[in-house]
Amino acid sequence: MAKHETPLLDELEKGPWPSFVTDLKQQAETKPEVWDILGQLELSFKDRITHWKHGGIVGVFGYGGGIVGRYSDVPKQFPGVEHFHTVRIAQPSGLYYSTENLRALMDLWEKYGSGVTNMHGSTGDMIFLGTRTENLEPLFWDLTHDLKQDLGGSGSNLRTPSCCLGESRCEWACFDAQEVCNSLTQRYQDEIHRPAFPYKFKFKFSACPNDCVAAIARSDFSVIGTWKDNIRIDQAAVQKYIANDPEYPSNGGSHKGRDWGPFDIQAEVIDLCPTQCMWMEGNELKIDDSECTRCMHCINVLPRALRPGLQKGASILIGAKAPILDGAQFSTLVVPFVEVNKENDFEEVVDVIEKVWDWWMEVGKNRERVGETMQRVGLPTFLSVMEVEPMPQHVKEPRSNPYVFWKEEEVEGGWDRDIEEYRRRHAA
Amino acid sequence: MALSKEDLKKAIVEKATKSPKPQLYIKDFYACDPDAKPREIKNIANEMVREGLLMFWSSGSTTMYAIPSRIQNEEK
Repeated sequence: MAKHETPLLDELEKGPWPSFVTDLKQQAETKPEVWDILGQLELSFKDRITHWKHGGIVGVFGYGGGIVGRYSDVPKQFPGVEHFHTVRIAQPSGLYYSTENLRALMDLWEKYGSGVTNMHGSTGDMIFLGTRTENLEPLFWDLTHDLKQDLGGSGSNLRTPSCCLGESRCEWACFDAQEVCNSLTQRYQDEIHRPAFPYKFKFKFSACPNDCVAAIARSDFSVIGTWKDNIRIDQAAVQKYIANDPEYPSNGGSHKGRDWGPFDIQAEVIDLCPTQCMWMEGNELKIDDSECTRCMHCINVLPRALRPGLQKGASILIGAKAPILDGAQFSTLVVPFVEVNKENDFEEVVDVIEKVWDWWMEVGKNRERVGETMQRVGLPTFLSVMEVEPMPQHVKEPRSNPYVFWKEEEVEGGWDRDIEEYRRRHAA
Repeated sequence: MALSKEDLKKAIVEKATKSPKPQLYIKDFYACDPDAKPREIKNIANEMVREGLLMFWSSGSTTMYAIPSRIQNEEK
């Protein structure tokens, strides 16, 4: 029996799609405090303002992250959500859970919280939504001692690193994303659990340029697999695709649900290459690999014929963020290739990370993401801090984005600068 | 670091006690010892949290530090 009338929320149950309102009503049958979520949200819809108070001093002892305080500003009306703290649970690399582990986590959350979850938050953690302050320490104890799991990052911490499935399932993986993700999670425990930075900082690891975890869009430090040498071509398999052999469906058969007509390598692969670096020479598919930008389209369409090269590693891109301040931005390519090597504890990746942190902790303003700091100081300054030589791939749009400036000593013969002559043509 | 660890802790407490707002960013403590590296300041501030001299205040996206007696507890 509903505790509150929710006519506005009820509208959200009428579409053909799944509704969180229906889910919450179902959950309220066993967790009565969930009625108060619906009641408070209905009130927010009427008042057109949130009734959550955000943030505070709650947490677990020794940790400066992992718990996000939430309080109702109308607790007398909705006592079930007087405290409604969020708990972030660090996810396993590649999001591999056993059903036994998932059941144990859900039992834990039914015991100490509302049972409402978000699978998963945009950082990657499993999110437990809604518990009281007095439940936090017992929950943390059971989580860490019985389930051997940990809280994730929040606040101005290193957020829980996340990665794709990598080599565990994917033939295109150019490095072991799960290994590096887990290794750096262990290495930077202090940065994950205690605030270290001017603002949040996220790592994400995608083992190939398909970037299944969207590292380029969602992480301050995006590590994306790539290769140095040439795409491997199996010309016999190319012929099978051209011949429309049913054992060789394009895109690995992922579009089989509809008749798209016969496969056309010219229209579906060669003409769609963004750098036009592919062509047919007789029956042979040719690629000018020096022009390849690793878009992965040809490999995705012809998975049995084309494969990444053998000299594998990763590109490091820095500075993505969501649109809170200046608007969303992607990471910028900074280091085109590093080795991602377990044998040396991923030292090439670690060197770049710590160089960025040392600089950003000093230069970054409060609540400024590293991508915003990069924009503020300019890419040439950032590249010189990183000790990276500017290269054409750093230039997003030639002439409209001329952020590589030559110094006189860098140009053979130098130049004479006549400022008066320049000002005759360009007013100050 | 120009200051000893204990002197730096005293300077941090003084800064956090006299600041107009009770919550401070980690960068606000950098001025307590300009010769110290940011990570050294961070490590000492976190040690002070463990000792109960400071307390974390988190908005969820940002974490700040405060003297426990100055910080408003939302639950009170």
